[in-house]
Amino acid sequence: MTKRTAESSNELGRQSEPSFLILTSLASGDKHGYALAKDVEAFSGVTLGPGTLYGAISRLEERGLIAPVPSDDRRQPYQITASGRTALASAVRDMRALADEGSRRLRLSVLTLRHALRPDFTELAQ
Amino acid sequence: MNVNHRYDRILRWYPANWRQRYGQGLAALLEDTYGEDQLPLRVRVSLARAGTVERAREVGVVGESANSAERLRAGSLLVLCGWTLFVVAGTAFAKFTEHWDVATPSAHRTLPAIADASAQAAGILSAIAVLVAALMTVPAVLRLLRSRGWASIRRPMLRGTLSIGVSVALFAGLVLWAHQLNLHQRNGGLALYGLAAIVTGFVVLAAMVIVTTTVITVTRKLDISRRVLSLLSSLALVMTLLMGVIAAGIGLWWASEAIYAPQFLANSIGSGIIGTSNALPPALIVAGVLMVLGLTGACTGSVRVLGGFKRARPGGHEVPGF
Repeated sequence: MTKRTAESSNELGRQSEPSFLILTSLASGDKHGYALAKDVEAFSGVTLGPGTLYGAISRLEERGLIAPVPSDDRRQPYQITASGRTALASAVRDMRALADEGSRRLRLSVLTLRHALRPDFTELAQ
Repeated sequence: MNVNHRYDRILRWYPANWRQRYGQGLAALLEDTYGEDQLPLRVRVSLARAGTVERAREVGVVGESANSAERLRAGSLLVLCGWTLFVVAGTAFAKFTEHWDVATPSAHRTLPAIADASAQAAGILSAIAVLVAALMTVPAVLRLLRSRGWASIRRPMLRGTLSIGVSVALFAGLVLWAHQLNLHQRNGGLALYGLAAIVTGFVVLAAMVIVTTTVITVTRKLDISRRVLSLLSSLALVMTLLMGVIAAGIGLWWASEAIYAPQFLANSIGSGIIGTSNALPPALIVAGVLMVLGLTGACTGSVRVLGGFKRARPGGHEVPGF
C-alpha cells in the first residue's frame, strides 16, 4: 500500500471535515454559501453551520484551493482551483486506499458486502 | 431590513479585515437560511465561537497560517496576558493571606514558609522578566514613533495612561485614608472603607486589562528584529516556568495551612458562605481560578512560542500547513 504522506493527510483531513466536503461540492460546479451548505447536506448528510462553513471557506481561499468568482450579487460564489482539484484527488486516493485496506482486512468482497447489506435492503423494502 | 446591517451585530465577533472580505457573503447565507426569522441561539453561539477563532487566527494565536515570527509574537503576548491574571490573583492572595505565619503553629511553619518564599521569589523574578522585556522593546517603540506611528497608537496609549492615572490616584487616596484608621476599621470595621477598597480593586483590575490590551496593540505594530523577538519569546518561556513555580508554591502553602492552621483559612475573607468549607474560602478560590486561567493562557502561549521556534529552525516547516 502506498504510504500516506504527511502533506496529503494534512490537506483535507477526514471525509467528514468541512474542507473536504466543500471541495467535493465545488468539484461539480461553482456555488455560493447557501448552495454549498444545501449541496453538502444533500450528498453527505452533514449540516455545516454558517460559522463553520465560512471558516472553512476562508481557510480554503487562503490556501489557494478555492477562489471567489466575480459576481455582482451579494451572494459570493466560489470555484475550485487547480490546486484544489489536486488536493481533493489526493484526499480521495488516500480514502480509497484506506477503504480498500479495511475491506481486505475484513475479507470483504463486493459479494459479501452485498450479502451483509441485504437485511437492510429487505427492511427498507418492507 | 437591509441585509448589510441586519447581521452587523453578530458579525462584530469577527475581525474587521475578515468582515470586509467575507461579511457580505456570510450575511447573505444567514439571510437565505433564516429569512426574516431570528437566528437560533445555537447559530449565534456558533458564530460567536467562529468569530473569536478568526480573531485568534488573525493575531497568530491559533492556526497554521501564521509564520514563525507571528507565532513567537502571539505566543509571547498570550504569556503576558496570563501573567496579568497572575498579578491580579497573586495580589489577592497576598492581601488575603497577610500574617498567616502568626496564625500558624511554629512547629508547622517551615513548609508553608518555604512555599510562600518560593512563590514570592518567583513573582519578583517574573516582574523583572517583564521589565527586561519592556526595556528590550524600547528601541522598536522609538522607531515606531519616529516613523510617525504615534497616530496609530495614540488612542490606546492615552486610554492606558488615563487608566493608570485613575488607579494610582484612587490607590493613593485609599492608602492615605488607611493611615488614619485603626486596625479594626481597616479590616471590615468601617463599611465605607471596605466599599472604597473593593471599588479601587475593580478599577485597578480594569486598568490592568486596559494596559495589557494597550501593550498588545502597540507590540503588534512594532517592527521587532528576529533576534530581539527570539529573546522576548525565551523570556516568555521563563515567565511561564516562574508562573508554574508560583502556582506550585501557593498550592503547597494552601495545603499546608489547610492541614496545620485551618482556623486561619476559616477566618479568611468570605469564609462561612454556604457551600464552602474552611479550607476553601471563596476569596482564595476566586484567586485560585484566576491563577489557573492565567497559567493555562501562559502554557498555551508557550506551546505557540515553541512551535514558532520549531518552524524557524533550518529545515523547519515554514510553509503554512492546511
